[in-house]
Amino acid sequence: MSETDIKIKDSTASWQDGVAKTITFIVTKDCQLACKYCYLVGKNEKERMSWDVAKRAIDYILDHERDFPEKSVIFEFIGGEPFLEIDLIDRICDYIKVELYSRCHHWFDSYRFSFSTNGINYHTDKVQAFINKNISHLSIGITIDGTQRKHDLNRVWKGVEERGSYLDVVRNIPLWLQQFPEEATKVTISSADIPYIKESVLHLYGLGIHAVNINVVFENVWKDGDDKLFENQLMLLADDIIDGGYYKDYACSFFSENIGKPLDPERENNNWCGAGKMLAVDAAGNFYPCTRFAAYSLRSKEPIVIGNVSDGIDKNKLRPFLALDRITQSPDKCKTCNVASGCAWCQGENYDAAETNTIYQRATAICLMHKARVHANNYYWNKLYRKLEMDGRSTKCEG
Amino acid sequence: MLQYLVILLDDTSVSFCHYDVTKPERRLISLDDLRQGIRFGMMENLMIQFIYPDYALPQEYLDVIDTIDHSNIKPLSALDCETDIVVVDGWKYNVAKLNGAVVVLRTSWNQLSKNHNNLKGLLNVVMRLSVVITDVERMTASDHEQYKAVLELLGKDVESICLSGKSPQFNLLTDRLMLTEMNNCGAGDMTITLAPNGKFYICPAFYYENEADSVGDLNNGLNIKNRQLYSLDHAPICRKCDAWQCRRCVWLNRKTTLEVNIPSREQCVAAHLERNTSRQLMLSLRSKGTFLPDIEEIKEIDYLDPFEIIRQ
Repeated sequence: MSETDIKIKDSTASWQDGVAKTITFIVTKDCQLACKYCYLVGKNEKERMSWDVAKRAIDYILDHERDFPEKSVIFEFIGGEPFLEIDLIDRICDYIKVELYSRCHHWFDSYRFSFSTNGINYHTDKVQAFINKNISHLSIGITIDGTQRKHDLNRVWKGVEERGSYLDVVRNIPLWLQQFPEEATKVTISSADIPYIKESVLHLYGLGIHAVNINVVFENVWKDGDDKLFENQLMLLADDIIDGGYYKDYACSFFSENIGKPLDPERENNNWCGAGKMLAVDAAGNFYPCTRFAAYSLRSKEPIVIGNVSDGIDKNKLRPFLALDRITQSPDKCKTCNVASGCAWCQGENYDAAETNTIYQRATAICLMHKARVHANNYYWNKLYRKLEMDGRSTKCEG
Repeated sequence: MLQYLVILLDDTSVSFCHYDVTKPERRLISLDDLRQGIRFGMMENLMIQFIYPDYALPQEYLDVIDTIDHSNIKPLSALDCETDIVVVDGWKYNVAKLNGAVVVLRTSWNQLSKNHNNLKGLLNVVMRLSVVITDVERMTASDHEQYKAVLELLGKDVESICLSGKSPQFNLLTDRLMLTEMNNCGAGDMTITLAPNGKFYICPAFYYENEADSVGDLNNGLNIKNRQLYSLDHAPICRKCDAWQCRRCVWLNRKTTLEVNIPSREQCVAAHLERNTSRQLMLSLRSKGTFLPDIEEIKEIDYLDPFEIIRQ
């Protein structure tokens, strides 16, 4: 067996990763679900984006082409649940396409419309018509958390806590995969979910989803001993992925060769989070450096508004975001951490959890969880490479 | 490390910086808080600067103040032989009265653009002149163009005073000539302020903006959360910058960018126009003879906002 015969499925990189501007429309703050781990503390049925606000946001962005020099653009629609506003979204996307063409804008034919949906309305006529109209420029992720018991533990219907949403979502997975066979699902892990990680990832593979993007929540929800439980679940998952040969065709973002190494304070000093490089607009027409800085996302801090559709963007308010680096915001334990690579943070959660109104204080609630992940990740790659090596030897012997 | 303690003696104490005094009613610090503040300064080994209102303090206050080595910052109306720094708010002053004084002149940009010709007369007689542009954060691109031209004219004035054998000290143009590293306001890092309510603030501006924004009190001491953000090594733009004379006003930073460690573009551009004119002044003086031979030449740079460097 030669090196080229070794097949390991990699986590799928997103479209135009690193060269695309992400512009997010918070079209509604409403959702059919009330997920227990949802960071959106201010969801409501009233704040729905109007066409006028959406149009003014698009006009501002396209009128200021020089301020948006990125090669490509991803127009992202979030909520709440974005597909609750499919009529508005359809109108927005049509307008964007016409305007990009008529202005000879550099984003013409280098754009995507992106959605992260709970999947409940995916099959409806309006959503399907929209998908069929825009399919070559679409990226849609459906969130399904794993097995029914894991999914229904958190992803419950609003006002009916005992009613999980698994069955309402899973019925749409075949249609989704038929239309977007390469798409990944996003799984969120909170404290109560830990015992179900292994079964859930394997269940998603079984549904035909080849890439599972999974992460632990950044909020300080962890209990004593969660890191050990988490490590154990990931080791069991590693065993099953390797022993079952899933690694060839399926990916799980928990396992990556690039995590768990020390980072150089000068050469590897980039900020992890993209807040400030992206732009979000809400129903009131306010601009944010990312949706996490809108009021409905924040538990204990005032929103950070960087402008609005009437006055434009206050570039001074963007400077702190664009000047962020890893070292300046990190406590000493992170600067000297031997397993720092791959340890993520969310700028919005940093801000929300900080002792003062700053984005320059890194929250470290996931520290032990990251270290547990690194242990399991090391185990995974050591085991996988040994297996591949042994498989290679046996092939040679047979030869 | 803390080095200075500013004590606002009254709510109407004169502003010596960018902020406006927003409390019109007199409120004198209590005598007990004044004593405790001085005691705190002595125990922390801090140099104390007292900021005076425009009325005479009771003798018992002056007696307490005299129990410690200190500096007095007073408004022009209260100028006397005990004044170390006199604050001139605007352009109404008697030059002769300021002979030999250390002067802070507060002015709007609009007034500076109209009155800058008067500064040469002042520079000829004062020991030191610090001009504070109180609305520097609102200067536009065309204001900056005009500021550049004003600085060039002032540079010629300073040069002619130097060539006459004097050594004028002028914050906008001569400070950068002497410096070898950042030398800024230092609020929250090297300087802390005690307000008339007995509480500590990062600087007087934070007190006048929001009295609830204190960072400790005389009973419990200082409690500056995220204190590291006031130091240069936690200011990602400023630590790459060599406009060392910049005030680096953390209050203006917070007002304009919402972060104490990140300056606005307006503050950066103004400081770089001053830096670049200082460079021209240095080159011109050196072309006419020996001038500060031990100080390294100020480099030519192609940006006015160091944010552009870190973005690269």
